[in-house]
Amino acid sequence: MVLTIDGIKCEFTQGQTVYEVAKENGVYIPVLCHHEQIKPVGACRVCVVEVEKARSLIASCAMPAEDGMIVYTNTERVLKARKLAVELLLTQGHHNCITCESSGNCVLQDLVYSLGIDTPRFNEPEKLKELEQANEMIVRDMNKCVLCGLCVRACNEVQVNQVLDYAGRGPTASVGPAFGLTYENSDCVFCGECVRICPVGALIEKQGRFKGRGKDLELVRTTCGYCGVGCQMDVNVKDGKIVKVTTPREDAPAPNNGSLCIKGRFGYDFVSNPERLTKPMIRVGGELKEATWDEAISYVAEKLGSIKKQSGPDAIAGFSSARCTNEENYLFQKFLRAVVGTNNVDHCARL
Amino acid sequence: MKVFRAHILVCGGTGCRATGSEAVQQAVSKELAAKGLLDEVAIVETGCNGFCAAGPIMVVYPEGTFYQHVQAEDVKEIIEEHIIKGRPVQRLMYKEPVTEKAIPHMLDIPFFGKQQLIALKNRGLIDAEKIDEYIAREGYMGAAKALTEMTPEEVIEEVKKSGLRGRGGGGFPTGMKWSFARKSQSDVKFILCNADEGDPGAFMDRSILEADPHAVLEGMIIGGYSIGANKGYIYCRAEYPLAIKRLTLAIAQAKEYGLLGEDILGSGYSLDIEVYQGAGAFVCGEETALMASIEGKRGMPRPRPPFPASQGLWRKPSVLNNVETFANISQIVQKGGAWYSSIGTERSKGTKVFALTGAVNNVGLVEVPMGTPIGDIIFDIGGGIPSGKQYKAAQLGGPSGGCIPAGALNTPTDYEEIIKLGAIMGSGGLIVMDEDTCMVDTARFFMEFCQEESCGKCTPCREGTKRMLEILQRICKGKGRHGDIELLEELAAIIKDSALCGLGQTAPNPVLSTIRYFRNEYEAHIYDKRCPAAVCSDLFKSPCQHACPIEMDVPAYIALVRAGRLEDAYRVMLKTNPFPGVCGRVCPQFCANKCRRAQLDQPMAIAWLKRYIADNGRKPKIEAVPVTRKEKVAIIGAGPAGLTAAQDLAKRGYKVTVFEELPYAGGMMRYAIPEYRLPRNVIADEVKDIEALGVEIRTNTRVGKDITFDKLRKEYAIVVLAIGAHNSWKLDIEGEDLQGVWGATEFLREVNLGKNVKLGSKVAIVGGGNSAIDAARTAVRLGAKDVTILYRRERKDMPAWEHEIVAAEHEGVKIEYLVAPVKLVGENGKLNGVVCQRMKLGEFDRSGRRKPVPVSGSEYTLSVDTIIPAISQSADTSFIPDGSDVAKDKWGKIQLAPKSKNKTAADGVFIIGDAATGPATVVEAIAMGHKVAQDADAAIRAKNGEPAFKEPEEEKIVIPFEVSEELVETPKGAMPEMEVAARVANFAEVELGYTKDMAFKESCRCLRCDAEV
Repeated sequence: MVLTIDGIKCEFTQGQTVYEVAKENGVYIPVLCHHEQIKPVGACRVCVVEVEKARSLIASCAMPAEDGMIVYTNTERVLKARKLAVELLLTQGHHNCITCESSGNCVLQDLVYSLGIDTPRFNEPEKLKELEQANEMIVRDMNKCVLCGLCVRACNEVQVNQVLDYAGRGPTASVGPAFGLTYENSDCVFCGECVRICPVGALIEKQGRFKGRGKDLELVRTTCGYCGVGCQMDVNVKDGKIVKVTTPREDAPAPNNGSLCIKGRFGYDFVSNPERLTKPMIRVGGELKEATWDEAISYVAEKLGSIKKQSGPDAIAGFSSARCTNEENYLFQKFLRAVVGTNNVDHCARL
Repeated sequence: MKVFRAHILVCGGTGCRATGSEAVQQAVSKELAAKGLLDEVAIVETGCNGFCAAGPIMVVYPEGTFYQHVQAEDVKEIIEEHIIKGRPVQRLMYKEPVTEKAIPHMLDIPFFGKQQLIALKNRGLIDAEKIDEYIAREGYMGAAKALTEMTPEEVIEEVKKSGLRGRGGGGFPTGMKWSFARKSQSDVKFILCNADEGDPGAFMDRSILEADPHAVLEGMIIGGYSIGANKGYIYCRAEYPLAIKRLTLAIAQAKEYGLLGEDILGSGYSLDIEVYQGAGAFVCGEETALMASIEGKRGMPRPRPPFPASQGLWRKPSVLNNVETFANISQIVQKGGAWYSSIGTERSKGTKVFALTGAVNNVGLVEVPMGTPIGDIIFDIGGGIPSGKQYKAAQLGGPSGGCIPAGALNTPTDYEEIIKLGAIMGSGGLIVMDEDTCMVDTARFFMEFCQEESCGKCTPCREGTKRMLEILQRICKGKGRHGDIELLEELAAIIKDSALCGLGQTAPNPVLSTIRYFRNEYEAHIYDKRCPAAVCSDLFKSPCQHACPIEMDVPAYIALVRAGRLEDAYRVMLKTNPFPGVCGRVCPQFCANKCRRAQLDQPMAIAWLKRYIADNGRKPKIEAVPVTRKEKVAIIGAGPAGLTAAQDLAKRGYKVTVFEELPYAGGMMRYAIPEYRLPRNVIADEVKDIEALGVEIRTNTRVGKDITFDKLRKEYAIVVLAIGAHNSWKLDIEGEDLQGVWGATEFLREVNLGKNVKLGSKVAIVGGGNSAIDAARTAVRLGAKDVTILYRRERKDMPAWEHEIVAAEHEGVKIEYLVAPVKLVGENGKLNGVVCQRMKLGEFDRSGRRKPVPVSGSEYTLSVDTIIPAISQSADTSFIPDGSDVAKDKWGKIQLAPKSKNKTAADGVFIIGDAATGPATVVEAIAMGHKVAQDADAAIRAKNGEPAFKEPEEEKIVIPFEVSEELVETPKGAMPEMEVAARVANFAEVELGYTKDMAFKESCRCLRCDAEV
C-alpha cells in the first residue's frame, strides 16, 4: 500500500500511522504528546497535517495510513495551526527556561525555537501554582505542564500503576493522582516513568535540581546494580559526582526500554555515602579491622574449610542475592554444591 | 375498557411542573371526587405539551379546549362551569395577542396550528407512564412490522429512503450509519441513544423522553434489529430525573409486554436496554466521549477513525443516535420512507423539533416541516418579540452554532442553508434575542460555556477557547485593543480547523458569526468604548445615560427632582443639552428603551420628567462669552444641530453667525413639529439662551439668494451645513401633479408659518411615522372631516410612537393598514381619489420586518380631495452651485468625506443634522452639533499648531442618593392631557405636563442604576 507525503510516494503496512510512515521516509513531523512506546491520542495537535479531501486538519500521530492518501506536512495552513498550538502551550502556565532542569532537553523549547515564536501574543498572566516537592524523589511543577497526557499514559500503559489520570475540565484540567492527592499520599510507587516521559520540565528528579543540566553532565551508561534484570541506565555525572540517574526518552535499549524502578532511578545516594564500606573488614576481638582482599578471602576460605571439617558440609548454608546476575547466582549455587558439598542454598527472591 | 365522557389532560412536563401543574392535578382529582364525577371524567397527566410559556396547561376533551396558566384556584371554576354546565371558561383561554380575542381550541392557536408533529406525535395527548396509551396510538406497530415482516436490510433501506438525518446536530444520514454498522462483523454490537442534551436553551430531547419514552425505545428496537445489536444504552444526563424515571418505567413495562428483552414478539430477536446516567459533562454528548463514559472512563473524545460503526463501545460496532432521531423511526417504518421524504426540502427531509426560547412570546417546543423559514417559527409560531422590542438575532445550534440576523429570517430550516449563514441546525435550540442583547456579550457567554466544558485534552480547544474568552472579556470591559477582532478571527479559524472533536471545532462559531453580522458592535466596544445594547456595564454608569446620544445624566436629574432641587436638575441637563424643554416633549427616548425599570413594570417617564424640570425649574442665567478667536464660523440652518454647534463654538470663543432662511429659528423643530406638541415659546426660550452667548442668528436670509455660498466660504473659516430635510419624498406614482397633493413637510411648514392653508374635507396621509401622525392631527385641527392614514404594513410595524397613534385615533383619525396608493386620480387638475391596493405580508426584509406585497386585483378607489405623502424627506441643497468642491451625488445629497460622519469633501465645510443622516431626531441632531464643534475646532487648532482645547472644569453638583427600600410594581405615571373635544379645534398643547406630585412620584420609581456599590 502506498500513500503520498509531500509528493513522496511512501510504502507502508497496514496498521502504521501517517506519522510513522513519514518518519520512516525521512519526512519530519514534530510531535509533542506522542511517544513511540505509548498509544497515540492526538491531543496536542502539533503533528497536524493536511489530508486531501479531509474537512479539517488531521493529527498524523493517530491517523492510520490509508492506501492512496495524499498528505501535506508543511503547507501554510498546517504551519499556522502548528504554530498556534505551540504558542498556546507556551503561554499557558509559566515556562521559565532559565532555571528549568529540562532546558536544552525540552520538546516545547525546541518547538518554540524551531517555529520562531518570538513574542507570544497571549500574555494575560496566569496564577502561579505551588510546586509539589514534599517527597524526596520527584518535583512536580504544574506551571510547566502542557497537559500532553504522556505521564498519565506512561503510568497506565507502560508501568500499569494506574495512579495518574486527568482531572477537571477546561481551564481547570490537570493531571495527577486521584482527588488531587500528592504523589507521596497516593499509590505512587515512584518508578519515575512519568519523569522520564515528561517532554517539558513539569516532572523532574528532585535530588538533581540545580546540580547540573545539559552540557554540564556526562552520561555514563551502566547496568543497574540492584537486581539481576540488567536494566540499562545513564548515570549523570558532574565533577565525578552522580547528579541523577536517567534513561533515554527515546530509542531506549532492552531489556528495560527506558523503564526503571524506584531503586534504580532514585536509589544512588549510597554511592557517595561516607558510611559506605570501601574495604573488607575482619572482626578481631570484637572489633572490625580493615583488611586486604587476600586476607579477607583467605580468612573466609579457612573458616569454611574448618567448619566443613568439624561439622560436615551441611553445617554450611548459602543465601544468594537478587542483586546478582544469573551467572553469579549459578556460580554461587555451584560453589556450595560442588565445592562446599551441601544443598543448603537459597535465594532471597524466593522469600 | 372504561369509557369517560370527558378527559382532563394536565401537562406534567418539567416546565409546567415548575409553574405548579402538580397542584392543579391534585385539585382536579379533589374537585372531581367532591362532585362525584370520578366515574365520568378522567384525569390524565401528559408529558410536555410544548407550549411551555402558557403553563400550567390543561386541555379538556372531547372539545379540545385549551386553558393556560391554570392554577389550583381555577380548578373549581373549570369543573363547575365547563364540566358540569358545559360553559368553557373564557378567561383562562389563550388570547390572540393583538385583538385579545379568546381562542378556545388548541389547534386554532397559531402556536399549534402551524406545526406538523411526527417526533412529538403523542405530546400532551397520552400519559407517558402508561404503555397502553402509547400502544393505542399505533405504538410498537413499527417495531412489530420491522421484526416480523422485514429483514434488517429492508428496514435500513426504508430508513435510507426516508432521508432522515441525525437530529443531534451532525445531520449524518441515519440509514447510512446503520448500514455501516450492519456490515461490521462482530459477535457483539450496541445500539445507543444520546440523551445527553446539553446545549443551553435546548430541551427537545427531555420533552420527548418525558412525553413519549416508548417512541424512543421503539426506535431503538428497530435500530438494534437492523444492525444486529442485542444490547442498548440510553445515555441520559442525571439532571433529567423525570425523563430517567419515565424511561426506566417504560423499559420495565415494555419488558413485561414482551416488547423488550428475550425473543421480542416471538421474532427470535432479543434486545436489552439500560439507562446510563451521565454526570453532566457537555463533552459527553460527543459520541466517542459518550462511549468512554459508558465504559466507566473519563468522558474524553478520541480521534476517529476507527469510527464507532466499526469500533465503538468497548471497541464493538455501535450506532449512536439522538432521541429525536429515534422518535421518528417507528413512523418511518409504518408509513414508509417515501412518505417521510415527501416532507421537507431537497436535502433535509421530514420535520425538525426546535426549542424556542429567549426573547419570544411563545416559549416552547415546536415541530415544523424542514424548509419552514426561521422567521415563520419566530414570528408566526413564536408570536414575535415581547414588549414591542426589535428582533436582533436568534442563536441556532447553541454554543456550537451561530446567529441568524434580521436579514436572514427567510432562510429555510435546512441543514445546508443554515450552514451557509455560519450557523448549524444543531440539536434545535433556537434562542431569540432582541435589541437589548449585546452580541459581544452573547459571544462571550457561549465562549465561557465552551471553555468550561472543554474536556481539556487537545490544545486548540483547551487553550484556544481560554484565549478567545480572555479577549472577549476584555472587549466587554472596554479594554479591547486594536487588532482584537482580527486575532479572534485568526484563533477561531485555526481552532475550527485543528481541534480534536466537534466541541472544539464548533466552539468558535458564535464568535465568528457575531463578528460576521455585528462587527460594528465589536468596533463600538473596542474603539468607542460603547455597548450599543447597554449591556456591558463596565462601559457605562447607567444604561439610560449610555443610550442617550448626548449622554444626559438621567439618574442625576431624576434624583434632583426627587430631592426637589429643580435648579440643580436644570444645570445637569444643560451640561449636554441646550434644548431640554424641546426634548422633554419630542424626544424618542433612547434612554427609556434601555431603562432597567422596564424589567419590573414599565420604563421611567424620562422625557416627561425632563419637561417638568424645564417647565418649572429656574434656568441659570446665561452670560455672553467674549470672542477670543480670529476665525469666524458660519452655520447654515438654525435647527437643533446648527444651534448646538453654534453654542459650543461660541463657548470656545468663536464668532458664530447662523443663517436661517425662514422667519424663526428652530429648524425642523419649529417648522415640522406641530405646535400642539411643541409650543413655540419653548423653542424661542431655548434659542434665546444661545443668542445670549453672543451667537448671531440672521433669519429670513437664504444662502444662495441673499448671500452666495461662495462668499460665505470666503468670509468664514468654517461653514457648517445644518440645513435639515425640508423636501418631502414623492410617492413616485401617477397623478402627483394634481392639485390637492401636498408633501407632509411642505404642508406642515406652511401651517407652521401661520399661513392660511386650505385643505379639502377628505384627507389621506400616506406613511406610518411621526410625520404622518403630525400631518393627520394637523389636518384634523384645520377642519378636515375625514382623515385617513394609509399604511402599507401592520400597526405593530409603525415607526410612529404608540401614544401619538392613540392620540390621533382619539381625535378621529382612521388608520388603514396593509394598503398602498398606486395612482392618484382627479378631474380638471384637481385630486378626487386615490387608487389603493391591498397588501399582504410576505417574506422578511433586511430589517427583519415582513415585506408588504401587493395583492393583485385588490385595487379600490378611496375618494379624497387631499393626499399628503409622509414617507420620508431629504435636504434642499440647490443653494450649492454645481461644480462646487462640496460634492453632491446625482440626487443632490451632499457626500461625506471617507470615514467621516460630518466632513464634506471640501476643506472647512461640515454637514450635520437631518441633511447628513436623513430624517432623524432632535437629540441626534444635538449630538452631531456637539461633535462638529469639537471636530471643527480641533481642525483649526491642528492647522495653527495650537494645543487641543481644554474643556473648562465641569460644575460640581452633588447628586443625592435615595432609593426606595421596597420595590413595588408601579406603572409609569400617566401624562395629563387636554380633553379631545377641547383640543381638536386649535393648536394648544395637548399634553399638560406633570404636576409636582406626579413628578415626585415618578422620580421615586428610578432604580438608580448609576449607583456604585
